[in-house]
Amino acid sequence: MVKAYRQEHVYKHPWERVSAASWRKFADPENKRILSHILEVDTLNRKLDTDTGKLHTTRALTIHAPGPWFLHRIVGQDICHCVESTVVDGKSRSMQLITKNISLQKFIEVEERIRYDPHPENPSAWTVCSQETSIRIKPLSALASMAEKVEQKCAEKFMQNSAKGREVMERICRYMEAESARV
Amino acid sequence: MGLLKKKDSTSTRSSTSPCADLRTAYHNCFNKWYSEKFVKGQWDKEECVAEWNKYRECLSENLDGKILTRMLEVDSELNPTKQADSKESSR
Repeated sequence: MVKAYRQEHVYKHPWERVSAASWRKFADPENKRILSHILEVDTLNRKLDTDTGKLHTTRALTIHAPGPWFLHRIVGQDICHCVESTVVDGKSRSMQLITKNISLQKFIEVEERIRYDPHPENPSAWTVCSQETSIRIKPLSALASMAEKVEQKCAEKFMQNSAKGREVMERICRYMEAESARV
Repeated sequence: MGLLKKKDSTSTRSSTSPCADLRTAYHNCFNKWYSEKFVKGQWDKEECVAEWNKYRECLSENLDGKILTRMLEVDSELNPTKQADSKESSR
């Protein structure tokens, strides 16, 4: 059983600014309060291909993911580690992030894909963000009997967190816009 | 907690990473380079190398090896065309 959903959002900011904001999203101190479920973000690897202008990055995200009390008893922990793999293509102005959980894999598989591309109707000034998330409870796990309910709850939580993430991104973009106007 | 080697309680929420300052220094350098150079087409050379090396050294001394290995495995599944030089950073 898989729960999947898509979201799309248009930022009225150029791709360069939006992709830069994405890198700052978790670290920005003012915004940490909003994204308080993100505990740590570390960069594990980064590789720049100077010929193609492609930037590959691997990051580790540690997330606080509490559930109802019975979930904690089954799953045993509140902390989830995820790996985020990103490719930024400087030439085609495209950024793609894929995030997957690496802990709690006995119980659940979550994969989130986000793309930032110039908006087709206004490529120099606007950016489209498309996000696809899939959530799957492992069939033979202890959660299987309530899989549908857990998937639904997870999906709701992720959508709330995505909305917070977008709020943070908009804030960072506005800040960066004001900064660049001052220069 | 998080990715650190010591087996800490799983429900503490304070950020106690020993590499936090080095991480901030590296991320600040990267963010500047990204906005001022990379997105303007200047990707001819790597920058922030000194910051990266210090940060990376701290991480490799403090990261939980098992978690790191698993992260890099999943990362190469997500990017099959990427070269496997990411293994170097797991030292």
